[in-house]
Amino acid sequence: MSASSIHLSPNLPTSLLVEDSDEDADTVVEALRRCGIAGRIERVTNGDECLALLRGMSAMHPPSLVLMDLSTPGTDGRDALRQIKEDSKLKSIPVVVTSASANPRDLEFCYSAGANAYHVKPVSHPHHLDAMTRLLQYWLGAVTLPSYRVSTA
Amino acid sequence: MVRAESNGVSGETSEARLPWEGQAYSVKRFGTTITNCASEPVQTPGCIQGHGALLVLRAHDLTIAQVSDNSGALLGHPPEALLEQSVSRVLGEVRAEELRRFLACEPVDRNPLYVLTFPGHNGSALDVTVHTTEGVVIVEFEATGHSAVNGPDYFSLIKQSVHRLQSVSSLQALGDTAVAEIRGLTRMDRVMVYKFHDDGHGEVVAESRRPELSPWLGLHYPAADIPEPARALLRRTWIRPMREIGAPLSELVPLAHPDTGQPLTMTHCALRGPSVMHTEYLQNMGVTAGLTLSIRRGEQLWGLIACHHYTGAFDLPYNMRAACELIAQIVSLQHKAAEDRDYLSRQLRFEEVQRLLISQAEHEGGLPAMIDGPLTLVDALDAQGAALFHQGRWWRVGQTPQDHELDVIADWLIKRPEFTSSTEAVFVTDSLGKFMPDNHDLSINAAGLLALPLSKRGKNLIFWFRPEMLRTIEWGGNPDDKPMVPGPNGLRLTPRRSFEIFSDSVRGQSVPWQPWEIELALRFRLVVMQLVIGRAEQLTELNLNLARSNDDLDAFAYVASHDLKEPLRGIHKYAHQLTDSAALSNPLDAQRVDGLIRLTLRMDSLLESLLHFSRVGRVALELEEVDLDELVHEALEMVGARRAEKPSEVVVAPQLPHMRADRVRLREVFVNLLSNAFKYNDKTNVRIEIGWYPAHAIDRKPHWPSDVTQHPILYVKDNGIGIEARHAEQVYKMFKRLHGRDEYGGGTGAGLTIVKKLIERHGGDVWFDSEPGVGSTFYVSLGMQ
Repeated sequence: MSASSIHLSPNLPTSLLVEDSDEDADTVVEALRRCGIAGRIERVTNGDECLALLRGMSAMHPPSLVLMDLSTPGTDGRDALRQIKEDSKLKSIPVVVTSASANPRDLEFCYSAGANAYHVKPVSHPHHLDAMTRLLQYWLGAVTLPSYRVSTA
Repeated sequence: MVRAESNGVSGETSEARLPWEGQAYSVKRFGTTITNCASEPVQTPGCIQGHGALLVLRAHDLTIAQVSDNSGALLGHPPEALLEQSVSRVLGEVRAEELRRFLACEPVDRNPLYVLTFPGHNGSALDVTVHTTEGVVIVEFEATGHSAVNGPDYFSLIKQSVHRLQSVSSLQALGDTAVAEIRGLTRMDRVMVYKFHDDGHGEVVAESRRPELSPWLGLHYPAADIPEPARALLRRTWIRPMREIGAPLSELVPLAHPDTGQPLTMTHCALRGPSVMHTEYLQNMGVTAGLTLSIRRGEQLWGLIACHHYTGAFDLPYNMRAACELIAQIVSLQHKAAEDRDYLSRQLRFEEVQRLLISQAEHEGGLPAMIDGPLTLVDALDAQGAALFHQGRWWRVGQTPQDHELDVIADWLIKRPEFTSSTEAVFVTDSLGKFMPDNHDLSINAAGLLALPLSKRGKNLIFWFRPEMLRTIEWGGNPDDKPMVPGPNGLRLTPRRSFEIFSDSVRGQSVPWQPWEIELALRFRLVVMQLVIGRAEQLTELNLNLARSNDDLDAFAYVASHDLKEPLRGIHKYAHQLTDSAALSNPLDAQRVDGLIRLTLRMDSLLESLLHFSRVGRVALELEEVDLDELVHEALEMVGARRAEKPSEVVVAPQLPHMRADRVRLREVFVNLLSNAFKYNDKTNVRIEIGWYPAHAIDRKPHWPSDVTQHPILYVKDNGIGIEARHAEQVYKMFKRLHGRDEYGGGTGAGLTIVKKLIERHGGDVWFDSEPGVGSTFYVSLGMQ
């Protein structure tokens, strides 16, 4: 799936998933379905695609949330996170990092780079699915995200 | 008359006066009064060996001034018929004229030469030799011996001998060839090259003997065996024949020269009467006839060629002697060149060993490889032991003093001026005991020391040791392996006696270090120091590499945590999704899928442990003062869940100490130890005790690590299942479980591995006592206090 083929819908809250693993991507889609919130998932597989997409789209329609896997091919999640949080136009978009790594250095890096949350992916599928479901419920249902404040500026 | 005045032959003379004081000496009359080798007038014995006759002529008119008292039997005229007569009285006019002509044109001064053969009174042919000395002409008459008529052609024999002697390539070969040639020429029973060492003692370095004789090769003899007067003679003359040891002697008539009153100097006489000392010495060894040749280095006496015969008299005719003398002279001439070649080849050999040692050290773990490698420092010099002080400890090989003795020597040496020299820093002694009088063992086992400092400051040293010479040399005449043989005049010259005198003089001394050996050691030092510097550079590089590989390990840990886990998560997911459909179709498939799920979870926990372990090794410790009381209670809280599984009693000693440690990691140590104590316990009432011993408060048990009692020791004691002794090492191995995967609550088998690593990071030790079925006590000692 390439970035150019993605058309973000202005009508539904959209989450951008940066994930190179199809299995993990499926789990996120399943979690969205289970959490009962209307929304879309757009998926890219690496940091470059993520940045290209965010920078190419209209400021009118930013994604509500970026779910960012840390170790993607090419520009990895750390780099993409850093660039999003250093970009004045993008830095208000919440970025939730998902990673298999519980390395304190990764946690330290991500939070200081401006990550809004950090989730360690468990190996157990039920746990993983459960955690992702609750995570989406929280970010898409419980909190107010900047994408709802449509701006023409 | 002079002789009448001192009639005291019987030995009642005072100590200060010689028994023959005031008159000429005769070995025949005064020999038994000799008690001291150095006082024996061996050059003026006053007697000749009885198988020949001797005339002393005045140089200007060849009239007979002295004659041996056996002239009647050999020459047909008793002394009284010859004294003051012309020599023609003995030789006849024709031969007397021949002698006169010979004396006029041949170089006979102190050089006996053959003149003519003379028909003796008893019908035997006599060789006549002549030489001059101190203004007199000495004419000697000797039986030509068995070889006279059909004897060997000495000229062609000696030609071959000379050729063989000139083509040898080493000192040993020179000696071997010389003894073989001389034995071939003479057919005597034993021919030896006897070398004088620097301290005067002798060693048999080459030998040719009749096969049934016991070998003397390699035996050493005390210096006193060949006393100084005998050596002085050997420096002046090449040859010393003795046809029959102990045979009757003939005295000169008169004993002193009638014109001068002087005794006859018989240094160069082939017939010279033997010294009592020498006679007794040879008789003690069972020698019945002998021939001694000198080997000289310039004016120095290097050694001897000693020839022994053991059964009766042995004729040593002039021709044979001349041939032997020539061989002795050639050996003397060849000697220096052969020795130089020898030194060179020994030096090359040691240099080669040193080169190999350096390369061994370079490739196999540095300087200690010179101690425990296939080649060692002992091979680098002619030494029995070597020690190296390096990296704060001694490394020893061969025969050396103990560590604490080495410390004493090193501490003493470091202060010596020799050691601070910038160019030639070396200390050499062949009697270390002199400097260390309190330690008797040193003077025996480490009498010789060659020490090199390897650094300007600090204690980095190489020592080479040689034991006391008396221990390393096989002594001829050693009372331990030879019976004591009393001489006819008591014990004054027996092998035992001379050995005792000698051993006193060399006690505590090693074979000395030669200048070329010291030179070699100094060169070795330079190379070793270069190596040490090189190693330091290598170490820096290694540290850089290590830092790099630590980074690699980081990357690896990341791979383990993420890249390995991602597919694992996928597998787990698919297996999970299969569960429902499998359960519907086939119960066996459902079981298999369950197994798959369980295995992925186990793999996950293994990866977690690995990841954790790698972090334990790398993350810097944050040391602080830790209150163990608090820390242990925190740890107990953290294992609380396990604690609740069974009834248990936990006793914590009051007032645990404060220690410097990384709080979080030390707590992890206790969590692990406590968790194991609960886990591996099959008793209905689990009992755990946590306590400590202050430094030095407990005796170290044999299997404990060394030095642990120097720090406080903490312990966790349980009444659990215990650990068999054979598993003592395995318990610390990564992922090693001694029990089934799901027994005792399962686990990855990383707990003690991590504990050990954490304690090692603190510079401490962890160990245990255990009795299977009774319980275990784990001890922790932290080094960083």
